Amino acid sequence: MLKPKYLTVAFALLTAVLVTPLAAAPFAYISNQLDDSVSVIDTLSGKVVDTIAVKGKPAGVAASPDGHKVYISTPEANGFAVIDTIQHKVIATVNVSEGSLGIAVSPDSKHIYVADWYNNTVSVIDADSLKITGAIPVGQSPSGLMVSPNNHWLYVANRIDNSVSKVDTQKRVVVKTMQVGEHPFGLTLDTRGDRLYVANVKSDDVTVIETATMKAIATVKVNMLPYATALALNDSRLFVTNQDDGSVSVIDTETLKEIALIPVGEKPEGISTHPDDRYVYVANWFDSNVSVIDSKNLKVVNTIKTGEGSRGFGQFFSKK
Amino acid sequence: MKKSYLCIPFLPFLFVAAAQAHGPVRQKVEEQITINAPAQKVWGIIKDYGDMSWLPAIKNTTVNGGNTEGATRVLTLQDGGTITEELKKYDEGKMSYAYKITEMSTAKTITHAGAEEKVPVLPVDNYAASIDLEAKGETTVVTWKAGFYRAYVNNNPPPEMNEEVANTAVKGIFKAGLENLKSLAEK
Repeated sequence: MLKPKYLTVAFALLTAVLVTPLAAAPFAYISNQLDDSVSVIDTLSGKVVDTIAVKGKPAGVAASPDGHKVYISTPEANGFAVIDTIQHKVIATVNVSEGSLGIAVSPDSKHIYVADWYNNTVSVIDADSLKITGAIPVGQSPSGLMVSPNNHWLYVANRIDNSVSKVDTQKRVVVKTMQVGEHPFGLTLDTRGDRLYVANVKSDDVTVIETATMKAIATVKVNMLPYATALALNDSRLFVTNQDDGSVSVIDTETLKEIALIPVGEKPEGISTHPDDRYVYVANWFDSNVSVIDSKNLKVVNTIKTGEGSRGFGQFFSKK
Repeated sequence: MKKSYLCIPFLPFLFVAAAQAHGPVRQKVEEQITINAPAQKVWGIIKDYGDMSWLPAIKNTTVNGGNTEGATRVLTLQDGGTITEELKKYDEGKMSYAYKITEMSTAKTITHAGAEEKVPVLPVDNYAASIDLEAKGETTVVTWKAGFYRAYVNNNPPPEMNEEVANTAVKGIFKAGLENLKSLAEK
């Protein structure tokens, strides 16, 4: 006979198992740029449960931290689309400017930031009214965006300038710009906002920045055409998509050395870590699927078919 | 040198700066063919990175370096235009290699949105491709893939430099190349 204590545990586990499918699992929203759609992956079943039509070559993805909305940049529709996470539908489209690509949401879910690839600005949009409240001049061809957890800073990768700018989100001005590698694209901040990782497409490396001083701590060589990065396991490992190598580099964030190279699909681009902090999802642009990497044993554990030209550039997990 | 450049001496510098951006949507072409010949035979025809004689559009090829990563080849087209490519991956065991275009000659110069634009011989930008062989018994499946952007780097492309013209051009070369490879291998 089991002791009562174990019974309680067993019961609790059983309840958890029974309840989980009822509560919504986190969903991954993958933009399929050549299909004009967004695939919604139920991470519990590992399957696409919905495909949402999104016009304008959807590229960037930003899930609002409150779990209600997912914003999808649409460069050929000059702005972004708003997806409701309950209905899995586009509930609004917003006109911003002609080269809308990088997109991010503030931690309080109140502001949406959209980088314009051609205009060299980052527009600020009020998430409730969906009105543009400002445009911040930054460097040339701004790409990846990242807002600090305390909401004070916005980081912008200026692709053609080979630099990263730190923007004061209150004053909406650039307070510092520093040189990084060649053609910086995707940005990732650690949980505390102390470190910023920059994938440099052209110099095949990752610049590691201390955000307080905006100085580079290290430059870590990866493989061909790194696109974006994601952290997992308490920020201990950084995963980098190498577009032209069809692989993901894994960097130990303490030693800042590459510890593994994991083959994924062809032209891996967008990358995000599941809210469980363990599974890393990679959108393979050429193969039109998503590889799921277990960050503990560094193996691909699942491959999920999505749509043509899966890009998923940004934070694509929604809690709801 | 074109006459117009002499009149507007700063224009070449503008091109250099603009050449670093690219269109917002990467394009994809994938063509496949099944050849009734063993993979080793097919691979024998295409394995030399410096020999593109199996591609009808190419008049001749010169190469710097062999079948090793970093080697560059210059393809001279039938009409005299040139395409320079760098070998990025080479896998003898898998019978595949991947390469990128690093330079191209200009096919023509057009005026668009008040500026002169050089249309490259292959109207693409940031072009990367790979060719793979797969043995299927006594036949071989050849897959040729490419990812690239349109040639026009700014917004609102002219018809000579848009996505459609880029896709059509790449598809045409791949189809003709694979057809010719098939007829060479099945001889």
